[in-house]
Amino acid sequence: MRSGDFKETYADLVILSDSKLVWGWAAALLVVLVAAPFYVNAYVLSLLTLVFITATGALGLNLLTGMTGLISLGHAGFLLLGAYGYAIAVAKYHFPPLVGFLAAGLAPAAFAIVVGLPSLRLRGLYLAITTLAFSYIIANLILEARSFTGGARGLTVLRPEMFGLDFSSDPAFALLCLFVAVLTLFACLNISRSRIGRAFMAIRDNDIAARTMGVNLQAFKLYAFMTSALITGLAGALMGIYLSFVSVEGFPFLLSIEALAILIVGGLGSSLGAVLGTVFIVLLPEAIRILFGLFGGSLEKILSTGVHEVKSIAYGVVIILALRFEPRGLVGVWRDAKRLWTHWPLRY
Amino acid sequence: MKLFADLLASGIAIGAIYGLIAMGFAVIYKATGLVNFAEGEMSMITAYIAWTIATTLSGNVFVVVAGSIVAAVLLGLAVERFIMRPMLGEPIFSTVLVTIGVAVVLRSLITLVWDAYPHALDVGVGKGVAHLAGVGLRSAQVAAILALLAIMTGFYLFFRYSKVGVAMRAVAADDRTALLMGVSAHRIHAIAWACSSAIAGIAGVLFALVYDLSPAMFQIGLKSFPATILGGLDAVNGSGFGGVLIGVVENLAGGYLGSGMKDVAGFLMIIIVLMVQPFGLFGEREIVRV
Repeated sequence: MRSGDFKETYADLVILSDSKLVWGWAAALLVVLVAAPFYVNAYVLSLLTLVFITATGALGLNLLTGMTGLISLGHAGFLLLGAYGYAIAVAKYHFPPLVGFLAAGLAPAAFAIVVGLPSLRLRGLYLAITTLAFSYIIANLILEARSFTGGARGLTVLRPEMFGLDFSSDPAFALLCLFVAVLTLFACLNISRSRIGRAFMAIRDNDIAARTMGVNLQAFKLYAFMTSALITGLAGALMGIYLSFVSVEGFPFLLSIEALAILIVGGLGSSLGAVLGTVFIVLLPEAIRILFGLFGGSLEKILSTGVHEVKSIAYGVVIILALRFEPRGLVGVWRDAKRLWTHWPLRY
Repeated sequence: MKLFADLLASGIAIGAIYGLIAMGFAVIYKATGLVNFAEGEMSMITAYIAWTIATTLSGNVFVVVAGSIVAAVLLGLAVERFIMRPMLGEPIFSTVLVTIGVAVVLRSLITLVWDAYPHALDVGVGKGVAHLAGVGLRSAQVAAILALLAIMTGFYLFFRYSKVGVAMRAVAADDRTALLMGVSAHRIHAIAWACSSAIAGIAGVLFALVYDLSPAMFQIGLKSFPATILGGLDAVNGSGFGGVLIGVVENLAGGYLGSGMKDVAGFLMIIIVLMVQPFGLFGEREIVRV
């Protein structure tokens, strides 16, 4: 039995997890997720794809809000830029999809420098409103630049074909989204353990102290904005392809709030939390729908006029209750469960 | 010149409504350190209650206004007591997200209890046009401006001279010391929520008088929050002024530069102001200790 956590080589320090069991379970989960698109029905598949795309976006926001502590209410703007970056490159100028994804990452990242500049002076909610302002400005710019973006009519996007693979079928596209999500997850996990990630967290915990310790605030805050925007932009491009249509209405402001809700319900500042929160928030309406189906008949009849409203009330109530009883988020539940599992029957 | 005067006047009128709701945000922020994202929804609920009173009980303007203020106060107290108070001491992010949950619930309640169609709120007055120096405004718009001025004066006096107002400032400055001095933070929070809900309710009723009721009305909350930031999150009267400023700038930009610039102009102004004054026009500079 292991009596402690001993690092004997440098490789031990670098490795993501030194437990074979963790790798085993992760691999099993991955196998299930890779196989699932070929076995589930179309409806479940669309939910699955949505979870993958949302997880990518949530991880992107987590890098900025969770890790660096800069609240953003403007990530819908980055999603838009990513979606339009891809759509304009591929649908309008007929570049290969890979270039499209490059544009979907770089366009928001470049714009993030402009959005990030205020973060050097502003804190907390003042910054949040500035990012909100930028996302409104982005949406209006896109609507105004009609010749370039198609204005309010939007642009139609087709499923891509890359590396000789055709992603036009639904399962194949789900796998592409899964690939991007897993890649993002690994990137985020690794960033959080690197010098850059430590600098981000130092800025979140106390930026003045971080500065006196030699963290270059300007550089790292801008860096956090750019990385976050790049990842969010990729999620936006995938979202655009998934909807097969890119328009300003497709990415409403409420997405920014929902993304924050995902992070907080999952547990702020942890990549695992972002993923758990995504699963929870995306599947919650479905769970409520199934629950209503179970208690079905009688309930449905009473509420026949307002089923939709009752469902969204239930959605709000579940969020309130989840935070009331577990303010640390789902990550807290996960850690408690893990502790219980390893230490049972002892409490500690 | 005529166009300018008209745009200015209607800008001040809509700005007064933004300003009122922005003051509601600021009151809660000042007393509790939270942003209430359900502010727009609370103002919408009150407007719908006013409509119900007007159509079922009595169309008398005084009955409607008094009834809706009482309803708004009760709503604010209920939200504070049953939803926000149990969250005291929890992480601030989680607590703010709870208000977003409240917003979702209230928004759906509207279509569940009432319906999804637009309605005109009719209390007999408010639709008439008043002329002042050649500029025509509906009397409800004039009422909004007067209400903003009255409530701003009220808050100035409240914070300066009343015991509760001083206690609220004490809680805002340092809640732990305030507790040690015998101030009940619970009661201050409850009063703040009630005040905020009442102000937002008044704004909601005035908005409904001018622009009719609809389930999309909660968006005035989203439009007013930037006004709070512009004035300074903890500056209650400053937020009222910020609302007027945003209303005027939006209206002028919409009139002279085209409707596409309407939203952008307000936000551009906020970015520029925050670059110069990082804590808003009247907000208190936060002093950070390492």
